Amino acid sequence: MRPAKLLLGLGAALCALTSFAQAEEPVRGGNATFIMSPAPQILTSAITTAGAEQVVSSKISDSLFTYDYDLNPKPLLAESFSVSDDGLRVTINLRKGVKWHDGKEFTSEDVAFTTMEVWKVLHGRGRTIFGNVTAVETPDPYTAIFVLSKPSPGMLKSLAAQQAQILPAHIYKGTDIATNPANLKPIGTGPFKFVSFSPGDNLVLERNPDYWDTGKPYLDKLIFRFIPDPATRASAIESGEAQIAPQNLVPMADLERLGATGEFDITTKGYEFQNEMEMIEFNLDDPIMKDKRVRQAIAHAIDRDWIVENIFFGYGKSAETPLHQQLTEMFDASGVPQYAFDPEKAKALLDEAGYKPDANGVRLKLTVDPLPYGEHQASIAAYMREAFRAVGIDLTVRAQDFAGFVKRVYTDRDFQFTINLLTGGSDPTIGTQRTFWSQSFKPGVGFSNGSHYVSPEMDKLLETAASEMDVAKRKAEYHEFQKLAMEDLPVFPLVAVESVTIASKRLKNHTIDANGTYSNFANVYLTPAE
Amino acid sequence: MLRRVLLSPAGFVGLLLLLMIVGMALSAGYFFPKGPWALVARPYMWPGQRPGLLFGTDSLGRDILAAIFYGSRVSLIVGLVATVCALAVGITVGSIAGYFGRGVDAVLMRITDAFQTIPGFLFAIVLVSILSPSVTNIVIAIAVVSWPPVARLTRAEVLRVRETEYVQSCKIIGMSTPRIILTQVLPNSLSPVIVVAAVLVATAIITEAGLSFLGLGDPNVMSWGTLINVGRPSIRSTWFICVLPGLFVVMTVLALNLLGDAINDALNPHFRKR
Amino acid sequence: MNRHLLNYLGWRLLQSLVVITIVVIGSFMLLHLVPGDMVDVLGGQRGDMDAELMATLRTRYGLDQPMLVQLFNYVTGVLQGDLGYSFRNSNTVLSLVLQRLPATILLVVCSVAVAVFIGTLAGVFAARHVHRPIDVIISMVVLVFYATPVFMTGLGLVIIFSVKLKLLPVGGLITPGVDMTTLQLVGDVAQHLILPVLSLSLFYIAIYARLARASMLQVLNQDYIRTAYAKGLGTSHVIIGHALRNALLPVVTMVGLQIAELFGGAVLTETIFSLPGVGRLAYDSVFERDYPLILGVLLVCSFVIILVNLIIDLIYTLLDPRVEVSR
Repeated sequence: MRPAKLLLGLGAALCALTSFAQAEEPVRGGNATFIMSPAPQILTSAITTAGAEQVVSSKISDSLFTYDYDLNPKPLLAESFSVSDDGLRVTINLRKGVKWHDGKEFTSEDVAFTTMEVWKVLHGRGRTIFGNVTAVETPDPYTAIFVLSKPSPGMLKSLAAQQAQILPAHIYKGTDIATNPANLKPIGTGPFKFVSFSPGDNLVLERNPDYWDTGKPYLDKLIFRFIPDPATRASAIESGEAQIAPQNLVPMADLERLGATGEFDITTKGYEFQNEMEMIEFNLDDPIMKDKRVRQAIAHAIDRDWIVENIFFGYGKSAETPLHQQLTEMFDASGVPQYAFDPEKAKALLDEAGYKPDANGVRLKLTVDPLPYGEHQASIAAYMREAFRAVGIDLTVRAQDFAGFVKRVYTDRDFQFTINLLTGGSDPTIGTQRTFWSQSFKPGVGFSNGSHYVSPEMDKLLETAASEMDVAKRKAEYHEFQKLAMEDLPVFPLVAVESVTIASKRLKNHTIDANGTYSNFANVYLTPAE
Repeated sequence: MLRRVLLSPAGFVGLLLLLMIVGMALSAGYFFPKGPWALVARPYMWPGQRPGLLFGTDSLGRDILAAIFYGSRVSLIVGLVATVCALAVGITVGSIAGYFGRGVDAVLMRITDAFQTIPGFLFAIVLVSILSPSVTNIVIAIAVVSWPPVARLTRAEVLRVRETEYVQSCKIIGMSTPRIILTQVLPNSLSPVIVVAAVLVATAIITEAGLSFLGLGDPNVMSWGTLINVGRPSIRSTWFICVLPGLFVVMTVLALNLLGDAINDALNPHFRKR
Repeated sequence: MNRHLLNYLGWRLLQSLVVITIVVIGSFMLLHLVPGDMVDVLGGQRGDMDAELMATLRTRYGLDQPMLVQLFNYVTGVLQGDLGYSFRNSNTVLSLVLQRLPATILLVVCSVAVAVFIGTLAGVFAARHVHRPIDVIISMVVLVFYATPVFMTGLGLVIIFSVKLKLLPVGGLITPGVDMTTLQLVGDVAQHLILPVLSLSLFYIAIYARLARASMLQVLNQDYIRTAYAKGLGTSHVIIGHALRNALLPVVTMVGLQIAELFGGAVLTETIFSLPGVGRLAYDSVFERDYPLILGVLLVCSFVIILVNLIIDLIYTLLDPRVEVSR
């Protein structure tokens, strides 16, 4: 990290600290504008895993829990919960007196309906997270009991709005959920009510005066604007037309300059549930990639610090294990094999594998498929092409659109290695597991086990850890997992990405827990313009 | 004719600019032996911030001047090849439609209409993203969207020439149809098409830059569009990455148009354009 | 309207129908040669989806049927005014496209109007002062406009007028979430449109200026203009009453030829200024592999363009009574 940036980071952290420390009186009123891209297609996240849908629907519908920065659950619609000793029954006591926006009362029936008929059936990750749920019992309107076939400690980490939005049973029951008109005119329990939606342009929400947390929210209106062009997003923030842009939507190249004006908060907090990792997925079915020495050589040929410094502007860390260091409970790099930047070693490994340089110094021709999502993967690929040249690998970068990429890698399996952005999630069972578990090698399914890595030892580790109720034991098992993953190297983790939120200093409390801008914004307020 | 082109100020300036760009394309390897991709310094260096890096570096620390030199090769080749393809298709379709008339003409012209009613740039986007972004596919897409005007122009000229006495007499002496088209009709119909060609090259270069701007460029080929796309997200802070290659696009397009005007004037001293 | 004209219009309508049919079938075939379908994308949306669910979705969207069957279903639907359903957007294609069409039409119409007005004005002015310094300057400026890609003009304008001077909004079509009277709304939209219209029209200003100048020069040399002067009519009278009217003919033809191109250029403008138009809808739907939606956009655009061209034919016959409609 360059000194200037370090200072900047410190400054931002300090500002964040002081703004909390002052604990000033929140101000009622005002409209805040929130920049997003891509635009949401629908306004319910219960049936999709797309990020934009998650951001907007969390403001309209509260979830059972929200999570603090260390991913401990904090009550929202749930007041408290308890887990039976065998881990097979999770009892959730619901808040009383919560009303849907249409005036009907929120009850355990809604929880049971959404779990069994929506999350388990239609939600991409929900099918994994709630896979072990066999029933939701509703002994009274304010108690919901999740009955599990196997202990699922990961489930309790995933009950925030972005992947577990609760839908009103009285609107959805008995209808075709995917095409229910309420998906575009949502009725929720959250602090903001739906006003209008212009697809591709904007979404307007207004204050819910009957919100259960009396006095909140503070904002009159919350307006989302969908802006596809990064330079335009930066302009909207800079000109004051919008107050907040999450998830690296403002180009990192602009952050330093904007931060220096003193008008903006720049934070990397609030993404602890997300834990995105840039990774190389090697296709182990490919005759060249099958050779572990080649994979190791590739690992040694890449200067990950350079990537972090120059492509991520220091917003991220060179990855040491497949888990993100923000996953504080599980992350442990001690004793995990590391692959330092060492071109000589890379050459030696290639020699060993039988790839000698030809007259032009080329040992090997390879093709990489960077995930076409944002700019980073393409930049990493462009860097790699140069870095690989130094060790005698002639690299071709293949460009395609999102659908083409998914089909090539996960259906046709016609690739050598990818540069992929994989969401780790708030627990290894939510994201990371699917990359390493042999059971999740399913041709046709995007972002599954793309390497086709099959290791009985790994499977056993993952399966035991997934339903391990003892925290210490679980941590130890995941430590073994991290060692084994880096030893076998079916994927090579490059960067543990830190996402950046930039907001006007007038906008307070936008990031107060692990859900960051994905939380309900009930506490957000806007200080008057000077 | 060349003399006449050179004597007009537009033609002279146009040719000079174009020669300069061709010179850049030819000398790229001599001035920048490491190629356009080499990471030469820290990313985002401003022009002149370090001696030897006249135009600064891009987001990965590549020399922008080198990229512009090599980029001129790609932009020129894309422009030329796409134009040649468009001309080939357009002239073929136009001359067949014009010469044979009737049913053949109706069918070919409705197909041409169909291509012209789909917004060209939109169609190019669809094509490139379907075929996957590579230089070949970009050339194909540009050619596909730019042949219809050529076809129309050729057809109109052929219609005119077809009725002339010398063509009629060729028919009477029993010359074969392909031979008539190739040796008599086309040579007498093509001068307006040549003028259009210069404009087509320019349009192709702009289209390539536009596609790259939207992220549909070929990542393995350094064109001006590639650089524009690389610099686009950070245009608010480091505008030069985007603007410098943009200026070269402007310059080339300008040169081609000046030249086109001059040729047009030289060919038809008394007629207005189009 | 005489029978001749009606016949001609009927013939043009028939031609247009044939053209639309070619567009529908052609683009349908093309889009189905693509690797990866919509379900691949849905499955890939940053989440996990199992093969069973994907198969269910394919059956539901009819993607498991042979291509010809899908084509047949589509064409039957189109004939009944049903352009299909976009599952990504949970809405019918027709209503999605119609939601987005006003923004694009507004942008294109304003840009054409501005381009024709300023372009013709500049062209006529240059023609009146032909070969004088002002003519050369106009020609040069116009040529530079012509050579500058739309996205460069657009980004440049945003930086100057929105960020530096803070005079105009950076993007969007209206200020969302504010209650406005109709008049305020019009003003608000106008403010949002200034920069996009300017950046899209600069390129076309160049074309019309050159066209108007050339055609004006030609007209000014013709006998009837000389006669008009000889009759002692004032300069402005001659220019407006006689010359301009005829010089406008090629301009009108050009509008017809370029309307399709303008729709294409709108994609870039809509992206830079985040306008909710059809161009961006198509661009987004290409990346989402939303076939019914892409097809819908192409079809509706073609339809609008053909309609505009029919209208232009009419205008043409009105402007120039000499034109024989049965050409």
